[in-house]
Amino acid sequence: MLSLIRSEFRKVSSVRGPWLLLAAGPLIVLAGIAGLVQSGANLQDPATQSKALGHAGLAAIFALVFGILAVAGEYRHGTITDTYLTTPKRGSVAAAKLTVYALIGAAAGLICSGTALAMASAFWAARGASFHLSAADDWRTLGGAVAANIGLAAIGVALGALVRNVVGAVALALAWVAVIEGIIGQLIGSGLARWLPFYASEALDNANITGTQLLPQWGGGLVLLAYAAIFAGLAIVTTLSRDVT
Amino acid sequence: MAEIQVRGLTKTFGKAAAVRGLTFAAPAGQVTGFLGPNGSGKTTTLRMILGLVRPTTGTALIDGMIYRDLPKPRAVVGAVLESTGFHPGRRAADHLRVIATANRVRNRRVDEVLDAVGLADAAGRRVGKFSLGMRQRLGLAAALLTDPQVLLLDEPANGLDPAGIAWLRAMLRGLAAEGRTILVASHVLGEVTQTVDTVVIVSAGQLRFAGPLDEIGRTGAELESAFLKLTADPGRHSVVAYPQ
Repeated sequence: MLSLIRSEFRKVSSVRGPWLLLAAGPLIVLAGIAGLVQSGANLQDPATQSKALGHAGLAAIFALVFGILAVAGEYRHGTITDTYLTTPKRGSVAAAKLTVYALIGAAAGLICSGTALAMASAFWAARGASFHLSAADDWRTLGGAVAANIGLAAIGVALGALVRNVVGAVALALAWVAVIEGIIGQLIGSGLARWLPFYASEALDNANITGTQLLPQWGGGLVLLAYAAIFAGLAIVTTLSRDVT
Repeated sequence: MAEIQVRGLTKTFGKAAAVRGLTFAAPAGQVTGFLGPNGSGKTTTLRMILGLVRPTTGTALIDGMIYRDLPKPRAVVGAVLESTGFHPGRRAADHLRVIATANRVRNRRVDEVLDAVGLADAAGRRVGKFSLGMRQRLGLAAALLTDPQVLLLDEPANGLDPAGIAWLRAMLRGLAAEGRTILVASHVLGEVTQTVDTVVIVSAGQLRFAGPLDEIGRTGAELESAFLKLTADPGRHSVVAYPQ
């Protein structure tokens, strides 16, 4: 298993695409915080500070796309054949990929959180406002961002294994996040909508962007974990019996 | 001595049968040619032997075991399949290192196989820039990485120039002389007569002939006329091409 995990790390590190994708995360965080400061938000308000840090969780969308590349990317380039020739027990391949992508997701989340912290402090200082990182809430926001990156990377791996087509899986994921979940949320009402995956990850981020009723942070984390487990289970079961042509 | 045994192998995709009751063996120490027209079920059969496609009925054994049950499959079997792909942005040496790492093969072996297939100079280049012939060589390097006793090759001469084909022939003869089992699927008959000892001919997913090459013709012309006769009538059953 360890050699399989090392091999998966080598797959990611030997191509440029995933790194460019993950590099977009800190850039979004930077742009988001700059935008917030430019918009004239009251920097003395602790809520503004929390909102600035919450941008680290938004970048988890890149971890989702990154995760999709794990299996769907191998189908795209035909390297999945080689992978299964080495490891015909496909469940082990899925486990190794989930491990590696969750770890890289965690690292990406940490970098985004660090960027958010550094950028927010710098902007606040430049405006002569004091940035207090005393509130436990702020640390929970940053920690939640790391957890959301891990969860969405894992969901991405599973989604890519189910759909097996990069374009299809990315389109589905982005459409879900941007449109579909919002529509379903309106249909079923916010009481139920908060159990949907992206609302749950929003709760986990501790950054209420859509302004709807959300689960508590820990609840969002558990719900996201449950989605990751269900998707991963489905992906493994369908992968085991599928013909690789 | 590891040999390949295919017993009553059948695969249906929906209602169409790609392979029907196929039985043959590829013995150790020989190059076995696996011949048949396009869409005759060769690739599906190779994929079933390798555990990538699940047979509807029948079994394929390597060294007496199905592929999935081999403790270290790559240590026993190497394969170059037509659809085996490469990430275009990955360097040739990195492609092999990924496989070497998963199979606990030391990194020095990567340089050895790159040298063996004549790609030592291209080791640091991204595969997206490779010609078809270079990809075939890289695929062969990946198959040889683990020094397997059994080799399965699907149309390995595709994209190779005449010098490359001569090189491939010498390499396969050499590997068979070392006692390895080599199964080569091809529809290039002229090439086959100079490389293989035994032939297995399929058409419409069914066995048409299995035996020494000498029995049906030593020259390309003899083999061609026998091949055309054997594969002329695909029968009344519908047969599908391998889905890509």
